[in-house]
Amino acid sequence: MVKRVLLEIDNLCLSFGGLKATNDVTMHMEQKKINGIIGPNGAGKTTFFNQISGVYKPDSGSIVFDGKRIDGLKPFQINEAGIARTYQVINLFKKMSVIENVMVGMHPRLKANFFDSLLHNKKQKEEEAKAREKALDLLDFVGLKEYAYAQAGALSYGQQRLLEIVRGLASDPKLILLDEPAAGMNSTEKVELNVLLRQILERGVTILIVEHDMKLMMDISDRIFVLNYGKKLAEGTPAEVQKNPEVIAAYLGGDEE
Amino acid sequence: MEKNKKLPVAKIALCMVLLALPFLFTAVGFQYGVLVCCFAFLYIIAVSGLDIDFGYCGQISMGHAAFFAIGAYGSVMLHQYFHIPIIFTMVIATVLAAAVGAVIAYPASKLVFHFLSLATIAFGEIVYSLLLNSPKGVTGNAVGMFTDSINLLGFSLSSNESFYYFGLACTAIFLMAKWLMVNSKVGRAWVAIRENPHAAGGMGINVTKYKVMAFAVSAFYTGFAGAMYAHLVRYIGPDTFTQKQSVMFVTMMLFGGTGSILGPIVGAVLVFSITEGLRMFEQYQMLIYGALLLVVIVALPGGVYGEMKKLAGKLLQKGKGGEKSAA
Ligand SMILES: Nc1ncnc2c1ncn2[C@@H]1O[C@H](COP(=O)(O)OP(=O)(O)OP(=O)(O)O)[C@@H](O)[C@H]1O
Ligand SMILES: [Mg+2]
Repeated sequence: MVKRVLLEIDNLCLSFGGLKATNDVTMHMEQKKINGIIGPNGAGKTTFFNQISGVYKPDSGSIVFDGKRIDGLKPFQINEAGIARTYQVINLFKKMSVIENVMVGMHPRLKANFFDSLLHNKKQKEEEAKAREKALDLLDFVGLKEYAYAQAGALSYGQQRLLEIVRGLASDPKLILLDEPAAGMNSTEKVELNVLLRQILERGVTILIVEHDMKLMMDISDRIFVLNYGKKLAEGTPAEVQKNPEVIAAYLGGDEE
Repeated sequence: MEKNKKLPVAKIALCMVLLALPFLFTAVGFQYGVLVCCFAFLYIIAVSGLDIDFGYCGQISMGHAAFFAIGAYGSVMLHQYFHIPIIFTMVIATVLAAAVGAVIAYPASKLVFHFLSLATIAFGEIVYSLLLNSPKGVTGNAVGMFTDSINLLGFSLSSNESFYYFGLACTAIFLMAKWLMVNSKVGRAWVAIRENPHAAGGMGINVTKYKVMAFAVSAFYTGFAGAMYAHLVRYIGPDTFTQKQSVMFVTMMLFGGTGSILGPIVGAVLVFSITEGLRMFEQYQMLIYGALLLVVIVALPGGVYGEMKKLAGKLLQKGKGGEKSAA
């Protein structure tokens, strides 16, 4: 089987004033793998995600997704192209119900236009009914079905993280970016997350995950990329990365760099 | 389940009351009530539209009197200068208001709350000064313009009673359309933008497009209400389309409660009744709106309808809790 690169990032750079938040980063990620990014606080992980998802436009370099150049596109266009994401700081639509949050996630896949929506014609009604059913299935998948009609803001922290993930999955993405999904989760929830990530992979969705929980990252990742001060420090299998002296130095707060 | 069975009865009763209202007013000798209802209908439409823009999509507009004016003057001028039958002029002027709304909304959609308020106030002022100082005086400038009643299939709606039924039908259609829109993919996108514009973009929603859509739809509603106003009163002058009118729309919306079908209805009816009741204090109108807004902000943050709904929810929960503990 030919290994196929899904996300190809080359020489990416972005500065905030004098700070090089992303400094000449190159990463190639294969399809249907779990790719992890680790790095100390302020290493530039979220900034990196924000460029892939179109929140920031890189200063230079390129991002090619599924054979198509996507850097510089707007967030909604990148989502349409097949990249979904979750946020480090929970970014749900708090006053909407749980199921509506998921249905908003399906937005780019729903075909009804303004006039279909105004008239509630047959096409629109059928599509909405299907979407509702699919949303319930997805909620079932992460164990949130019983909360479908609760307000999203009323869920527990761990449940809100799960809702962020299903909302992302709702657009049937090829790639999902997860920014610290385990933050604030207790140990049971983390074990469940581990299982869930593998199930997402089984659905054929490639994962790119940023996470500080090393145990989870070493266990789940097929390949790990290490960022430090905006630069890629290393990449490899979890075993390779763990042995890398530069990585160890960075994590022990070594000043030799 | 039981509730679902009861609901149509309440709806049918409401319809009957609304249909019988002009007769009831006549019976008790309060003819003026019919006219008040006619105004209430057009304000309900205008404020329901503003609510689509603000209550659902989260964009403030302090200049909706401009769309009210475009609907009113558009319809009157098309009839006066091109002799187009009035109902068609109303539709054309309404579409024009929506088009202008879309053009304004495109740059405005990039602005955050405070700047959007300022920009919409400025837009309102521009339209107002155009009415007052129009090229070649086509708007009648300070004098304004007189016009005719609506003529529907050869039947003139010159009596308040006939306008009442026209207004009732229009209100029903506009409210129905609002309900259909907000309960669809489009409505979900609007609320998502209100709740969190960044996440909405991340979920594949073209935020600019949906903001423009909400603004244009809202201008459509308010524009139509303006056209209704023109042919109900049969006279329009610039004084009706000042900043005060925009403030009144916003007051009605916030007082009733945003982001719902019923809130703007409650707000339009209450605020219009209060203003009518205090007619003798007309010079203090802005003060009255200010006081009403203060009441809402301090005591009723969800508006009258919003707070009633909250209260009902609490009572219902208490009732349920009571049942549980009793069992
Ligand atoms: N919008 C911005 N403007 C200016 N500086 C920024 C901005 N966003 C991030 N930074 C800076 O860029 C650097 C990288 O931040 P980033 O949030 O990407 O780190 P991170 O790796 O996600 O950290 P953490 O693990 O704490 O989430 C930090 O020094 C941060 O202060
Ligand atoms: Mg981060």
